[in-house]
Amino acid sequence: MFGSTSLRLAAAYTVGFSVAVALLGVTTILSTRAALTQQFDERLRSDQVAVLDGYHKQGLFGLKREMAEASAGAGALLFGVQTEAGTPIQGPLAGLHTPVGVSTARLPDEREPITVRVLTDDLDGRYRLLVGDRSDHIEALSQKVLWRFALAFAALLALGVAGGFALSRAVQRRMAAISGTAQAIIDGDLGRRVPVTGDDDLSRLATTLNRMLDRIGALMDNLRQVTSDVAHDLRTPLNRLRQRLERSARQAGDPAHRAEIEGALNDVDAILATFAALLRISEVEAGARRAAFRRVDLRALARAVAEDFGPAAEDSGHRLEFDDGPPVWIEGDAELLTQMTVNLVENALRHTPKGCLVRLSAGESGGLPVLTVSDNGPGVPAAERARLFDRFYRLERSRSTPGSGLGLALVQAVARLHRGEASLAGGAPGLKATVVFPTTS
Amino acid sequence: MKLLLVEDDQEAADYLKRALEEAGHSVEHAAEGREGLLAAASNPYDVIILDRMLPEMDGLSILRTLRAARVRTPVLLLTAVQGIDDRVEGLDAGADDYLVKPFAFVELHARINALSRRPPPQEVVTTLQVGDLRMDLLKRTVTRASVRIELQPREFQLLEYLMRHAGRVVTRTMLLEGIWNFNFEPQTNIVETHMSRLRSKIDRGHPRELIHTVRGAGYMLHEAV
Repeated sequence: MFGSTSLRLAAAYTVGFSVAVALLGVTTILSTRAALTQQFDERLRSDQVAVLDGYHKQGLFGLKREMAEASAGAGALLFGVQTEAGTPIQGPLAGLHTPVGVSTARLPDEREPITVRVLTDDLDGRYRLLVGDRSDHIEALSQKVLWRFALAFAALLALGVAGGFALSRAVQRRMAAISGTAQAIIDGDLGRRVPVTGDDDLSRLATTLNRMLDRIGALMDNLRQVTSDVAHDLRTPLNRLRQRLERSARQAGDPAHRAEIEGALNDVDAILATFAALLRISEVEAGARRAAFRRVDLRALARAVAEDFGPAAEDSGHRLEFDDGPPVWIEGDAELLTQMTVNLVENALRHTPKGCLVRLSAGESGGLPVLTVSDNGPGVPAAERARLFDRFYRLERSRSTPGSGLGLALVQAVARLHRGEASLAGGAPGLKATVVFPTTS
Repeated sequence: MKLLLVEDDQEAADYLKRALEEAGHSVEHAAEGREGLLAAASNPYDVIILDRMLPEMDGLSILRTLRAARVRTPVLLLTAVQGIDDRVEGLDAGADDYLVKPFAFVELHARINALSRRPPPQEVVTTLQVGDLRMDLLKRTVTRASVRIELQPREFQLLEYLMRHAGRVVTRTMLLEGIWNFNFEPQTNIVETHMSRLRSKIDRGHPRELIHTVRGAGYMLHEAV
């Protein structure tokens, strides 16, 4: 799920946005608190001025009278006066010991202490005047703001996550359509195109991809046409050439002359064989044979090849061994799989010296059907192994032996037609060719 | 044997006609599809050699039309295309055999001979006999001069094929297709290796050889005279 780009983008966007909102929330709460506190303190100061007015006019008596007056009524402030040493004289705040200036203190109460904000002032070095008010409501307000914010934040997060999922699901569905088309084309359904819906960036991408596919399709058709034309156009003159040589061979009286012509006939046949092999590889690579896939017992198929090539292996001084066992079922084209197996066995027989052992087996490895042909011959350097699957690639030492250099290319083409893969590895000693198939389930 | 050759390539047709006539057959040639169809439908031939790619009316349509009209003359389809599906398509359309161009004349000739003397399909054969060699198809046993010969399954199939085509040339390619079901040419001569084993079992110790190699063509099973 996190392999999806759109989901990752949506997640990153949600996280970024949430951090921004959280920052905004913290700033709002802090500035709200600051503004409230400032307002509060100003109220304390203005009321202190009113009370002090009484002190300046009539001393402690005037102060007490102003305090009593200002304490009356709902929402009134709290006062307190004490001696310079802190001995309470009068008022609910008289018992507090707060420094000069504005501070926050806890005032003991019957149930639980209450928080008060107190403005303390020194009066001529003889008394201390305390003016204060309950400040819990600032806390309560901040709390309320915080809660609201937390709720809004949670809603935002939920919306962001849900939206991100929905968005990425929608994008993913369309991406899946594109990727499904690509896979179908890889599997040989060359006529498939990406569905185009509406007019947005993805649709434009789909249109561009479709145009690219049309272009590739046209090029491939062209290539196929050229290949087919060349095959046909070359076959006709080669056919005539072959017939002329055949006629000359029949009419030739001189045996040496006749042998020459028969040599030429063999050369023509070798050209034709290479041609046939190339066309066969192209046909397999086009992937159309998948339509004819059936359930095939890979092991029975390998057994038949082992039995058919046993005598030939014996005659060339080799030993061909087959590891038998229960059936190994795959979906495939029996004829092409047989040709693939034959090519691998022939390759091993032809490129190993007399006395070598060639082992053919079909089985399962890691839950996947596998066909292997291994020998104990001279092997192939690691650097050259992969290139052996290229068309016409031949090892230096094999150039003198007959063969078109197309056998292993066909093996790989057949393996890939079956959505499998052929590979070569060192057999310590020798060479081990492996074809791994996908599971049938 | 009376043959019909439907082939648009004049030079190839001339060569084949001459070579087949030299081999003792009478050959009629049609250069064009409709002409070929008309000839095939109105005259009895032993074998029709039909090119698949013809201008206007192609070989497969001719073949389908003939089969739809219940003309059962054996048809050998010649083709320049070698795809796997092409072969299946040709046989499905009613061809009795299929040969890819270019081919050796001996290959064509052997196949024409094989087609011309096919027993009717409803005839059930249970034993085959050539000289003192007997094959029981039900018991899957082979005897020569009443002595039992043990054969491997492939050797049995090989011998059965030769006995069914006794007196006629059987090519390597015919055996690869008919017995091994290989529609490709392996690099190894597996026909030869199996044939030499079969031959040693059948002919060793007998004064008369039954399996003969026809140079440049293939094999033939016959009682030497």
